[in-house]
Amino acid sequence: MFLNPWSLALSLCSLVVLLLGAIAGRTAVRVLRFWEPGSDSNRQIRLENEIWLSSTLVAYGLGFQIITLILFVLAADQFCQVIVGAMCATGALLANPFGMPALLIKLVGVFFYGFWILLHQLDIRSEHYPLVRIKYLALLLLLPLLVLDVTLQTLYIAGIKPDIITSCCAVVFGEDIGRTANLMTGYSQQGLLATFIGSIVVLGLLGGGLLQRWRSWLAKLYAAGWLWFFGLALVMITTVVSSYVYAMPFHKCPFCLLKPEYHYFGFALYGTLIAAAFCGTSPAFAGLVRGRKGLSAIVARYQRLALILSLLLLVIFSGLSFYHYLKYLISGGEG
Amino acid sequence: MLIELCGVSKIYNQGRPNEVRALSDIDLVVEQGSMVCLKGPSGSGKSTLLAIIGCIFPPTSGRAAIATRQLARLPDRFLTLHRRETIGFIFQRFNILPELTVLDNITLPLLPLGIAPKERKRRAHELLERFAISHRAQFPAGQISGGELQRVAIARALINNQPIILADEPTAHLDTTLSREFMAIMQQLQVAGKTIVIASHDPLVFEHPAINRTINIKDGRIHVP
Amino acid sequence: MIPKNIEKQLNILDYALSSLWRRRLKSLSVLLVFAAVIFLLASFQMVTQALTAKAKQLLVHTPEITLQQMSAGRQEAIALTYSHQLAEIFGIRKVVPRIWGYYFDEVRLANYTIIGMDLSEIPGNALLDTTLLSGTMPEKAEQGKVVVGQSITKSLELGGRLTFSLFRPDLSLKSFEISGEFAPDTDILSHDLIVMNLADARDLFSIPTGLATDLCVYVTNPQEIETIAKKISAALPGVRVLTRPQIQKTYQVVFGWRSGFGSICLLAALAAFAILAWDKASGLSPEEKREIAILKVLGWETGDILAVRFWESVSVSGLACLVGITAAYIHVVYFAASLFRPVLMGWSVLRPELQLLPRLAAGDILLILAFTVIPYLAATVIPAWRNATVPADAALGG
Repeated sequence: MFLNPWSLALSLCSLVVLLLGAIAGRTAVRVLRFWEPGSDSNRQIRLENEIWLSSTLVAYGLGFQIITLILFVLAADQFCQVIVGAMCATGALLANPFGMPALLIKLVGVFFYGFWILLHQLDIRSEHYPLVRIKYLALLLLLPLLVLDVTLQTLYIAGIKPDIITSCCAVVFGEDIGRTANLMTGYSQQGLLATFIGSIVVLGLLGGGLLQRWRSWLAKLYAAGWLWFFGLALVMITTVVSSYVYAMPFHKCPFCLLKPEYHYFGFALYGTLIAAAFCGTSPAFAGLVRGRKGLSAIVARYQRLALILSLLLLVIFSGLSFYHYLKYLISGGEG
Repeated sequence: MLIELCGVSKIYNQGRPNEVRALSDIDLVVEQGSMVCLKGPSGSGKSTLLAIIGCIFPPTSGRAAIATRQLARLPDRFLTLHRRETIGFIFQRFNILPELTVLDNITLPLLPLGIAPKERKRRAHELLERFAISHRAQFPAGQISGGELQRVAIARALINNQPIILADEPTAHLDTTLSREFMAIMQQLQVAGKTIVIASHDPLVFEHPAINRTINIKDGRIHVP
Repeated sequence: MIPKNIEKQLNILDYALSSLWRRRLKSLSVLLVFAAVIFLLASFQMVTQALTAKAKQLLVHTPEITLQQMSAGRQEAIALTYSHQLAEIFGIRKVVPRIWGYYFDEVRLANYTIIGMDLSEIPGNALLDTTLLSGTMPEKAEQGKVVVGQSITKSLELGGRLTFSLFRPDLSLKSFEISGEFAPDTDILSHDLIVMNLADARDLFSIPTGLATDLCVYVTNPQEIETIAKKISAALPGVRVLTRPQIQKTYQVVFGWRSGFGSICLLAALAAFAILAWDKASGLSPEEKREIAILKVLGWETGDILAVRFWESVSVSGLACLVGITAAYIHVVYFAASLFRPVLMGWSVLRPELQLLPRLAAGDILLILAFTVIPYLAATVIPAWRNATVPADAALGG
């Protein structure tokens, strides 16, 4: 279903990002072939200028991808109005097999583009440009991801037929196990809550330990902890947090949170979570290039900053996720 | 040794049919607090030499150290970062942006340094007062007199308190009075401890008593008469 | 204490704004074209959105399930006896026959929509009275009483009178008395509507007793609409079963398609605009080139110049969005989207008096941004980079 403003907007944005990616890819190939540090030939001067272009393009691409990610979820929410049986974004995304993978790839993409920009920012802070080759190799590796993203999205949009019956979120994430396959069954709410709180405490302790003294294995552990926590938090939002936000015990949907009815609460929640997970995993990522020429001080500074930011965001995220729960406990559900 | 060049050459468009050898084998040392004139006809390579001293581009070969930092093999970005801390530029015709106010012109070098408007204003007013042009602060730079323009250009070169002042043919479009005034101000700055390099073929400049040394450039080489 | 990096971006934003101001003629022309494009797009989006909301609001009054007799793929009159068969299906609250048709008034060359229905039989019929501006709905026993939409009163040129006549198919006259008038805010559905009771409608159209155009089925629990519809469909195979959600989704598809079509047209305009933006941004005059070279000698990095251009683009597009969206809102709300009613609205029901009240959610604004700001930023990024890589030595003489 392409003749819909949301599909068109998504396709347009993807085309733009692909175009930007292609231009950046061209620079990548040229840098990998012709880069000669220290030379002042015209070609080298041009390449040094093109580095600016490519990094700007990726930064724009990242910004646009974040917008498309939001747009994609909102579009799914619109599509559900034309798909019989779908009542919110979940149903619309499950309408064909490409919806969820497309969303997932977009989410992963945001992290990877972010990592690339981090790599670039570290690189240009050392006068030797020590990461130039790695950076552009990585850029070339990002392009297939981008193509995959656009392909999945296009297949998804093409596959939306206004009369397919899909399950709505009450069925997919709800608790009446008898009827349809439920994505989130088998988790006890109390157990989940305990694990969630436990993970927050452990992450806090790990982060605190890192802040005391930097150990690279601890940083890796911390990053792994954040990956685990990211997944856990998504499950937690879907099964526990969302129903307290909706104030409806059987409405468990990760997407309706983004709607104006709930004061766009989801944007704050997911925004902090994604930013926190990025800050939490990036110190270990940056640690991979710490040994490069002229980078150790720069990387160390970044790692510390990211670590502090991730801990701060963790606190904010915990506050946001428990806000409605605590409000419910205190007001007894009357608020 | 604030400026130290050793065997510096600059070749434009290297390896192409339009290759130009602008500088060859320049050795030059400028002490802190001295005032040096690069003298030579246009096309002699003195602007190229000034650009290398000014960290605008690196030499093709040879060693160049400005304020103890090696320039060779330094990417453009780091040349810029180094330049804005060490070099104050005074251009031919002053290159003031005529539509901006005098104040905005003077504070241009401070914008990318992340200096807050209040601090920028404070520093600018200090200099404006020193050069007696405070009353012109809010005037568009295109509407002030030549003498005032010259002082604005000098103020701009001093705003970040850089140790080196470079001037490229500063008196080429000035009358004698203004040229004399320019040199007088340069002399004051030298006394205050700045290192000054002026590229010029104006006798008012290279014959000025404050000039410690005149370096003749001819066909891209230092010419010893 | 603001961090250096943010202070720097603020400084650069400041410079970008002053630079836009210095080139105000050029900036203003880009801004106007951009705002016009956004205005068109936002108007489209708002009209679609308002119509969808309106349709949804009105569909509340339609029955949960509508039954129509099909014969050779066309709709025919349906037998009232079906309602006995339906009575056996559990969950049906009420079956009410309805005559829904169009009457062409040859004298005034106008089409009226006629609904003949015994409204008192509809569950929750008290709600219907709220749609009236004045008077009451016709009772089942009252003969010749009608409720009419606003434009009918005008079209019939009644003046102060309350009675009028319409022709039966055999050209004999049937007279009516107006007992009430619909409120203007139901205009989309009611402006050309005449509501009367079933007997009057049957008399007017000469439909034999025991037949109606369709049967309206009201159910007890709205959650069971689909289940009941399936059961009806199984019990009465020749009958077309329409459910309210289905009708709603059909409306959505139609609205969505229409605005999609409009968007394609606008994309063409947008492409032209992108070319313009490119052209404006890439033409680098000697003065601009000199300015950039001066800034670079004074210690501005390539990235700083890129940031200037970025902030310029963001300011222009942000301002254009503000202007465009505000203008679109005024256009839709106060001028009823008069500019492109012919494109978006295929049916004739929309009158200038119709009040469209779009509720603009953040998502809609994001959609508009995706159509306009993203292509603009993308179109200006390469020219901006060309700008930013002007070498510093271009500022040196000789």
